[in-house]
Amino acid sequence: MSTLVEIRNLAVGYSKKEPLFRGLHASLNAGTVTGLLGPNGIGKSTLLKTLAGILPPLQGEIVTSVQQEQQRVQQEQQRVQQEHRRVQKEQHRSSRACAFVPSQPPRATHFSVWDTVSTGRYRYTNWLGMDDEEGKRAVSHALQKTGTLHLAARDSAGLSDGEFHRVAIARALVQDTPLLLLDEPTAFLDIAGKRSIALLLRKLAVEEQKAILFSTHDLTLAMEYCDMFWVMTQDHTLHKGTPQQLQAAGIIDRLYQ
Amino acid sequence: MKKNRLLFLLFFLLFFLVAADVFLGSVRLPAADVWQAMLGNSPEGFAYKIVWNFRIPKMLTALMAGMALSVCGVQMQTLFRNPLADPYVLGISSGAGLGVALFVMGTSLFPVLATVSWLANLGTAAFAWMGALAVMLLVVAASKRLKSNMGLLILGFMIGSAGSALISLLQYFSDAPALKHYVLWTMGSFSNVTGQRLLIMASLCLAGMVVSVHNIKDLNIFLMGQSYAKSLGVSTTRIRNRIFLATTLLAGSVTAFCGPIGFIGIAVPHMCRMIFGNANHRTLIPASALLGASMMLLADIISQLPGTGSVLPVNTVAALMGIPVIIYVILKNKAVDL
Repeated sequence: MSTLVEIRNLAVGYSKKEPLFRGLHASLNAGTVTGLLGPNGIGKSTLLKTLAGILPPLQGEIVTSVQQEQQRVQQEQQRVQQEHRRVQKEQHRSSRACAFVPSQPPRATHFSVWDTVSTGRYRYTNWLGMDDEEGKRAVSHALQKTGTLHLAARDSAGLSDGEFHRVAIARALVQDTPLLLLDEPTAFLDIAGKRSIALLLRKLAVEEQKAILFSTHDLTLAMEYCDMFWVMTQDHTLHKGTPQQLQAAGIIDRLYQ
Repeated sequence: MKKNRLLFLLFFLLFFLVAADVFLGSVRLPAADVWQAMLGNSPEGFAYKIVWNFRIPKMLTALMAGMALSVCGVQMQTLFRNPLADPYVLGISSGAGLGVALFVMGTSLFPVLATVSWLANLGTAAFAWMGALAVMLLVVAASKRLKSNMGLLILGFMIGSAGSALISLLQYFSDAPALKHYVLWTMGSFSNVTGQRLLIMASLCLAGMVVSVHNIKDLNIFLMGQSYAKSLGVSTTRIRNRIFLATTLLAGSVTAFCGPIGFIGIAVPHMCRMIFGNANHRTLIPASALLGASMMLLADIISQLPGTGSVLPVNTVAALMGIPVIIYVILKNKAVDL
């Protein structure tokens, strides 16, 4: 399994003086689903938003395979002057490593599901935001993967929470990033909805070889569908391991005491 | 396809109102005379002078003002994700008003200024535009520190209030003719935009429309909030500044040359969302431009009270047309959500 993201000495939060977490070291691998667990207010969403680039890291770095690839491309660029333009274009296209799905993805009224998903292709569409044939195939593929192709023409404001969460995941998929970050994707869903989203994430990790990191409070669901856990505890430590390892070490029991 | 049919209908409506605005006016002219004047026949005739010196420039001004304010309204509503945002939400009209008040006050205190030819011709518009630009530069400078759009909205409101307070102060110290000049400007008019003024206004509006069309892709992203835009790696500050630039060029120019014309900028985007059932800016921007121009032409036709010889302030007519639409969309609620 190749490492897609590596976190080195990361500090997250809203103030450099009092970061929520500091000295974080972790990595995410292709084809795995990782559950991010921790009590309310511990900093799960803050960590996800920092990884997604919405919040700046207070310290440390997040190195993605894309960035490593970029460094390689830059070296290549220096050596092969003739390919300068092509490499630059390539570099621009692959500069995003993460796609983020918030816990309550905002939706627009009078905006179709197809158009909503298509906005995820921002970096690939033309100046008017219109897709070429390849782009249309990518949107269609993402809708199909998430089981929402039949909703394509519907107004996204008229969908149920579960349906729209699938659409938001499709929108993240078309961004064509190796890493998917989801903030409590099952929070407002019924049991069937929760299982269906968790199953979808598993399927995407395996079939699309993505690394998926999602925060949740549903331990049963996480135990069933995650390969790895990141557990944030009150002592500001990030524990990593398989669900079985962390359970055996008593970390999970401590989490809910 | 339904979208294309509706756009064609709007285009047809606009064409009809363009013709109606030229054929109808406060001075009664036979249709045949107007037609002959439009064809360029009898250039010494009364009808020719009315049509070419008055009605056609006025029609073009109303057309541009309607397009500009509506396209501006769409961008402000999307940027702030607020259905009641309008082109003046950032305090542009107050800035322009302050500019005009300063100019009027300046010429009443120093009458020599009125003898400078370009000031006499373009003074009101130039000062109004500079006032609008100053407000926008203030907003852009503050927006570097303000991360949330709600903060910007409050800032715009505060700038607007401060501008109004300063205008009241200037009015208090103004003489009667200066006060009248200012009040007439606030009522809005398309009548005085001819020749050089029309050319300047058209150039600024054209530039504003080009920037607005360039904003379409980013506006669609902003519909789903700034966090989403950031997660896509988009520079939200750069896009915000581009929207501000479009606003200054469009709303700033209309306010400078025609006065602060309200309600069309709020109402038209909502009408388009209702008619098209589509908030995609690839539809909303051209639809708002066409419907906005049509609404403004209709307001202009009504304000001329055809054949009566008197004219109403265009701002009053635009308000009476826009307010029922806004009340309707609020009551219908669904169309208000962005």
